[in-house]
Amino acid sequence: MVHLQNVSKSYKNGVNALNDITIDIKDGEFVYVIGETGSGKSTFIKLLDGELIPTKGIVEVNGVNVGKLRFSKVPKYRRNIGVVFQDYRLIESKTVFENIAFALEVINKPRKEIRQRVREVLEIIDLEDKAKSFPSELSGGQQQRVTIGRAIANHPKLLIADEPTGNLDPERSNEIVELLEKINQESGTTVIMVTHDINLVNKYRKRTIKFEYGHVVSDSREGGYIAHV
Amino acid sequence: MFRLIGRHFKEAFQGIFRHFSSSLNSITAVTVTLVLVSLLTLIIGNVSQITRSIEGEIKIFVTVEEEIEDEEIPALTRKIENVEGVSRAEFSNKDTELDKLIASFGEEGKLFEIYREDNPLHRAFIVSLKEGYIISDVAARLEKIDGLMEVNFGGISTEEFLKILNGVRQGGYVLVAALTLVAIFLIQNTINQTIFNRRLEISIMRQVGASNSYIRQPFVIEGIFIGIMGSVLPVLATIFGYKYVYEAVGGQLVSGMLALQPVNPFAYYVSAFLVAVGIIVGLIGSFLSVNKHLRWRR
Ligand SMILES: Nc1ncnc2c1ncn2[C@@H]1O[C@H](COP(=O)(O)OP(=O)(O)OP(=O)(O)O)[C@@H](O)[C@H]1O
Ligand SMILES: [Mg+2]
Repeated sequence: MVHLQNVSKSYKNGVNALNDITIDIKDGEFVYVIGETGSGKSTFIKLLDGELIPTKGIVEVNGVNVGKLRFSKVPKYRRNIGVVFQDYRLIESKTVFENIAFALEVINKPRKEIRQRVREVLEIIDLEDKAKSFPSELSGGQQQRVTIGRAIANHPKLLIADEPTGNLDPERSNEIVELLEKINQESGTTVIMVTHDINLVNKYRKRTIKFEYGHVVSDSREGGYIAHV
Repeated sequence: MFRLIGRHFKEAFQGIFRHFSSSLNSITAVTVTLVLVSLLTLIIGNVSQITRSIEGEIKIFVTVEEEIEDEEIPALTRKIENVEGVSRAEFSNKDTELDKLIASFGEEGKLFEIYREDNPLHRAFIVSLKEGYIISDVAARLEKIDGLMEVNFGGISTEEFLKILNGVRQGGYVLVAALTLVAIFLIQNTINQTIFNRRLEISIMRQVGASNSYIRQPFVIEGIFIGIMGSVLPVLATIFGYKYVYEAVGGQLVSGMLALQPVNPFAYYVSAFLVAVGIIVGLIGSFLSVNKHLRWRR
């Protein structure tokens, strides 16, 4: 699903955010990406969704060489990956239902299909009763679930979450990871989750890739306890 | 399809009303620009018309050497008509030339009848020009032909006048182009504002894979709408203003010598042109704005 081959990324200001990274993530895996602030986690995510182009190496996602993607082909490519951020990025003037529907409207899905899919998604994220609420009427955890719902609306093969629990208390954080697990298991979606939360990593054990100064310093299949993050 | 366009229209109008003062500024800027464009276009149109009518009347008068036999005249006519810039060469024999002389003097002209037997005048060609050629250039080319004696034309003053008219016309084109660029720039400001207001929606659209043209559409519609709104007043001003001026001067300048373009259809052509400029300016302005924003990041 995801294959990085000797990838480096330096920004224009000379910062080498990633140095010679090689990572392989298979279809249907659930992977944590951890590391101290500035270690290159978000840069990694941005290489995957096509926002950044690697300075060196190959970034391949779902058979697509993302770095070589032409500007005009980026939108089509993005339809196959869902992205979730720490800040929820919901449209305040739209209801929960409309926010999720928006993701399908703007890629010209038929109206009937949209309604049906949004209802399914609402069930998955367990917010059927909040369909008509506005984001401001929801808790942080609920808002993040809407964002996840929006990200999976178009059945992406890869779901990327950059610190989805960054603003949430432990209880809500657990709910989010459990939701991501459910999506991973029920629809076989590959999930990559960037996190700072060592408790989560220890509680829901999964393959864990650790970044340090732009290098992969550990990649443990079993996951679990890691002393320093 | 219609549902889609409907959505975009809705967003475009929301865009306009959400930041109405900025839209109004743009519309006003387009209005002012188009009023100037209208003035220039009216001037250009009339200058072209006057130029054409003057050029149509310009004739070069060439006299023929005495040694040339009458039988050689048809060949000479062909030679002249083959000169670049000549549309027609009309031959006039000595008798006709005398008739013209007599006519030009009115009553007293009859005195010249005594020359009828031993006519001292020369045979001549009255040469008409094709449109767009400079008289003195054509005259110079005629002078090179053997068998022609003297080449005369309206004189330098007509030519100078035509040159001035040409200058006015070309200056007008340049100004119209410059004003159009200014209007494009001004519309961009408003569209940039809309883009800023809707940056969250745009970033979500990009994240979920909306095509660039999809993202662009509502902004382009907004730009075109601003262009059309901005052309309303200039169109009214053009039609009524030109009609007023045309009637005030009686449709002509310099006591009947230079006819102006008639209100119908000219004022309507200019109006259509203004709306077209408004639309194009809105289209290009918004297009550039959005593209710049979209290219800013992948
Ligand atoms: N747009 C940018 N321009 C220049 N340098 C950048 C840019 N984005 C990130 N960096 C730098 O690249 C390095 C890696 O940044 P990145 O955002 O990938 O880290 P991160 O692991 O996501 O950190 P955090 O945990 O704080 O989110 C940092 O040194 C950062 O300052
Ligand atoms: Mg980050």
